[in-house]
Amino acid sequence: MEAILSIKNLEKSYQAKKVIKDLSFDVHKGEILCILGPNGAGKSTTLNILTGVLNYEDGMFQSKGKNVHDHLRLFKKRLGIVPQDIALYEELSAEQNIKFFASLYGLKGNALSTSCNQALEFAGLSERRKDKVKTYSGGMKRRLNIACAIAHQPEILILDEPTVGIDPQSRNHILSSIKELRNKGMTIIYTTHYMEEVEEISTRIIIMDGGRIVASGKKEELKEHVNEERLYHIDVDHTEGINEKEFYHIEGVKHVSISASQVELATLKSVENLDRIISVFIQNKVKINSISCESTSLETVFLRLTGKSLRD
Amino acid sequence: MYQFRRILKMDLVNLFTNPMWLFYTTAFPFALTLIFGFLAKGSYSDNITSYDFYGITTMIYSALNAGTLAANSFMEKDIKGPNMRLIYAPVPSFAIYFPKIIATVIFTTVCYTAVALLLRVTVHVNFGETNTVYLWLLMILVEIFAASFSVMLCCVLKTEAAVNQILSFAITLMTLLGGVFFPVDGLGKAVTAVSNLSPVKWVALSAFQIIYDGKFTLLLPACIILAVVSVICILFSTKFFKTEDFV
Ligand SMILES: Nc1ncnc2c1ncn2[C@@H]1O[C@H](COP(=O)(O)OP(=O)(O)OP(=O)(O)O)[C@@H](O)[C@H]1O
Ligand SMILES: [Mg+2]
Repeated sequence: MEAILSIKNLEKSYQAKKVIKDLSFDVHKGEILCILGPNGAGKSTTLNILTGVLNYEDGMFQSKGKNVHDHLRLFKKRLGIVPQDIALYEELSAEQNIKFFASLYGLKGNALSTSCNQALEFAGLSERRKDKVKTYSGGMKRRLNIACAIAHQPEILILDEPTVGIDPQSRNHILSSIKELRNKGMTIIYTTHYMEEVEEISTRIIIMDGGRIVASGKKEELKEHVNEERLYHIDVDHTEGINEKEFYHIEGVKHVSISASQVELATLKSVENLDRIISVFIQNKVKINSISCESTSLETVFLRLTGKSLRD
Repeated sequence: MYQFRRILKMDLVNLFTNPMWLFYTTAFPFALTLIFGFLAKGSYSDNITSYDFYGITTMIYSALNAGTLAANSFMEKDIKGPNMRLIYAPVPSFAIYFPKIIATVIFTTVCYTAVALLLRVTVHVNFGETNTVYLWLLMILVEIFAASFSVMLCCVLKTEAAVNQILSFAITLMTLLGGVFFPVDGLGKAVTAVSNLSPVKWVALSAFQIIYDGKFTLLLPACIILAVVSVICILFSTKFFKTEDFV
């Protein structure tokens, strides 16, 4: 696939703090690229660099072989951007908002009206087009926030957590519209905290943590990554006296995490070691209440790679 | 240019549809003139009534307040978000901050003209009769200066709160020192000397010279200084405005 955006060895600091470290990836035409990561991972920073408004200290950012910052205005014209925070003129109507933002991309006259109508239709807001935005529900504002970014029919759409804090109905609407846009040939870059969304719409995933990419690939590939392992959840009375090291001595054990009443173990499927794991508990006189074995979800992939859960 | 016009229009719409700012630029200066004028009635003659005096000084004070409006039309919390969407759009940077200055000046000029007409009709404030045009030229330049200065502060400081604090302090200080609301000449030589440094004093002197003497000797230098300082502020804005400060 053709790379329409290409980032290489990018570094970005705020004050003295490095927030993007040696970031390299390509964006391919027609994909839905999801960037996943815990709070503060650098997702928004990465997106803002992709929009061309944020500078960086080191590295390269190209589009179709050309340095983006040499042709910034032409580049910006190809983008549609949905900011993380809702950015709309509350005192104006949906129609006025869409028309204004689309006009900044050079649309005027009939073309402007037509695209505005399409965008309203797309957001399911045609009937409320004349109402002031401040009278809208949270979900409607989110939808309009997206509509304002697509009226000029950008080649690349960048969305920063477009579904935060909305009802399931609006979320489904947004997700299916994103897929629809992709079918029409748009390339989509998307950040989110919601694993279900990634499972549903992504064609490729980048997992970030601490300003770095910790894994990337199609969701099947990412799952494959941990598929050679199985994950045991062992519920116990208490975990006093149990030392992680005792488990790591067992052949096949890859990852251990111990909390007050649960031990989680990732271990290679190819090694039969459950009896040895159980014997650690017996030796420590810890009563086992239950053992369950989980199949891998993206959530576990994420947890394993970053050591953090997606939502705080 | 098309984008520039669209942004200017949006800035005007934002100003004219905000009830608080409309109040601030119409009812407020009107009431201020009436109150001061009424309180000081006894100490003025029939030639120049207290309303004549405070009508003009309030206008100058209000013109300076164009600065606060410009800062608001740029960064007020409700419109900062959508305004910042402009930085993603393929428009040159000056099309983002420069229309704020023009829109503010248009808005304040319209509002203050309405207030002046009202003051003329109700308490017969003298705005220079045939020379009103020159007086208005001076006022508009004060507005341009205040708006450019405040937009520059926005570009440098990036937050509305800080800009508003600095502006309200500066405007109050200059106005008080300029002696346009309360005479400061009786407070000793030092105060008088400091007062001479306040641009407000010179603008006021120039205004009264136009109205009562029909003379323009102070007008020209005042206009030139205001224009030059405004241009400098705009140049500084160009230098300090960086899209990345606003993401
Ligand atoms: N303007 C800024 N000044 C200083 N530090 C910043 C600024 N913006 C972001 N950071 C820091 O950069 C890091 C990455 O932030 P970023 O907003 O990109 O994270 P994120 O992955 O989008 O997080 P979230 O999921 O909370 O939106 C964080 O540590 C944050 O504190
Ligand atoms: Mg973010």
